[in-house]
Amino acid sequence: MAPELPLQFSEDLLSTPQFNLIHSFGADLHYAEAHIGKTTRMSRYERLSTDGGQLDGSGIDPAPEVVVRSDIDATMEIFAKTVVINEQVTLYENDKVLTKFTTLLGQWLREKEDLLMRDLLASSVSYINATGGTNGDQPTNISRNDVNNIERILLGNDARTMLESVDAMDKFNTAPTRDAFIALAHTDITPDLQNVSGVILKNAYPSQEGLRPEEYCSVSRFRFFVSSKAAKIPGASLNGSTVYTVPMYGLEAFAKVEQNNYSAILGYRPPYVVSSVAQNSQLYAKFAIAREITNQNWISGLNVTTGS
Amino acid sequence: MPFTIVTQGNFTSAGVGVKVPLPSSADYFKVTNLTQLATTNATGRGVMFEWYKNLVAADNAIEWKKTNSTDALNMVLASSGGFTYVTSAPVVEAQAANAITAITAASPAVVTQTNTYSEGDIVRLYSTTGMLQIGGMDFQISSVSGSGYTLTGLRASGFAAPGTAGFTRRISKNAAVDPEFLYVTEITKATSAVVRTSVDPTAYYVVGMKLHFSVPSSFGMTEINGLTGTITAVSAANYTMTVDIDSTAFTTFAFPASSSSPTARLFATVAPAGAKTSYDPTTGVQTGYNFTLQPFHSGNFVPYMFLAAGAQSPAGSTGDVIVWQAFKMEN
Repeated sequence: MAPELPLQFSEDLLSTPQFNLIHSFGADLHYAEAHIGKTTRMSRYERLSTDGGQLDGSGIDPAPEVVVRSDIDATMEIFAKTVVINEQVTLYENDKVLTKFTTLLGQWLREKEDLLMRDLLASSVSYINATGGTNGDQPTNISRNDVNNIERILLGNDARTMLESVDAMDKFNTAPTRDAFIALAHTDITPDLQNVSGVILKNAYPSQEGLRPEEYCSVSRFRFFVSSKAAKIPGASLNGSTVYTVPMYGLEAFAKVEQNNYSAILGYRPPYVVSSVAQNSQLYAKFAIAREITNQNWISGLNVTTGS
Repeated sequence: MPFTIVTQGNFTSAGVGVKVPLPSSADYFKVTNLTQLATTNATGRGVMFEWYKNLVAADNAIEWKKTNSTDALNMVLASSGGFTYVTSAPVVEAQAANAITAITAASPAVVTQTNTYSEGDIVRLYSTTGMLQIGGMDFQISSVSGSGYTLTGLRASGFAAPGTAGFTRRISKNAAVDPEFLYVTEITKATSAVVRTSVDPTAYYVVGMKLHFSVPSSFGMTEINGLTGTITAVSAANYTMTVDIDSTAFTTFAFPASSSSPTARLFATVAPAGAKTSYDPTTGVQTGYNFTLQPFHSGNFVPYMFLAAGAQSPAGSTGDVIVWQAFKMEN
């Protein structure tokens, strides 16, 4: 009889899946101080009117204009996750579970934050149904005409682009991209993005330097970033298909507020605290976040369905 | 690892599903129908329902039910109308689609369907044959009966035809984040425009808030598209808001025609754009602000347990007294 052999783990763990984090990097980042309440206010002075203003020589002063200020508030909220580890796991296992679990909690922290920002964009922004596609649904699949319409809305509201142009280079099959707004899309619509008139897939940019891995393509004045967790509404189209919301925005459209000293806390509670017989320990992660749309004029978007 | 009760409570069933907010995640949930424990029915009713995390599928339950006309118990797995454990902010509630048989072209519009929704619920309408221009919109319902309800927020007398078919699904009253955008169904031409929304705006907006208008050209009143106005009055009776925008000279607001070919851009919406606050330095009074409603914040608290209603479901039938307990494993 052959001797019993122990089970051998490979030297490396396999990768833990992680979805693309696309909903935070376009947000303005602000910080809230401790001990002064849970509501953060952002304020914007509105432009003065350019009407009139000419002095007629009579010596009469023009009427003063009342300055208008818009206040946008957000409430700080705390989210947390915990993992419990039994001593037998750490005693017998050899893959450094506490280290790995700490890494997992760190991943949860960033993923949760991404989904919270996604929910903000899905809930509090106006979207327009795409109509230029060919699938006969309502909304349709995305088209160049729909993308151009959103560009017109943003430009009409004096929105500023977020990304710099990628200049042309002497390379075959590449094309420059203009300074661009950002669009966030679900990975389900990537086949439709490839079919939009004038699309420049990421590999056709003249330079790949500094590009984020989540970026997929450029259409007109928008560069599209995709995630498998982007917003969607099941069964809400005319034909009962899933409707995908595609936020499209420029500078200073929305904000993420982090609480000072509470933006990412990872902690460990030892067994003698967690368990009466000191057998279970606990890892936890928590963070505080507030989120808000800071300028509705500089964010818009499309409701779309898939082309097939 | 014993179970610990993390929270418990009771309610009297109104014959509709119930959300039970939970202060933490739950591993076990138990519901007891005290009313049905004390009686028998010709068709045996469920008296106790159990749920185990990750072991009982969504909308399922382990049901302890009385046999017909006796107190003898049977234990079965209910494959629908059970528990749904919700851990992320939902839009669509855990309910099946409900078919519409008619939507009147009236002001307000009236929907006919076999109705299980409650007064004030919000439903999403889609595939609304004959009224495709409202497909995909959310409406708050009122004057409910077993055969339908009224859409206070929809003045459809100007529509070319009534709706003849379609579907609804109940959705959350609050989006994942509040304040949320709302669908606009009417804007008057007036020195202070009156805006009607598809749901009661008083639940989301307050006087002093600024609203950003997004109105596609298919709705006519393109002049208001992109403008920001301040709410000066808000009414729950007619789902209307008055804003400080003079729309007298604007093009008339009207829904596009119903069309199965998607030529018209939908929808007209308003979205929260902050607040216009004023501060009287003499009195120290700040007006136009509501710290409870106005700041951006989570609209849905999760996790929660959704209990389906019905004779064989944990939320019971109208009048049943229900006791529930949520448990968590000790670690």
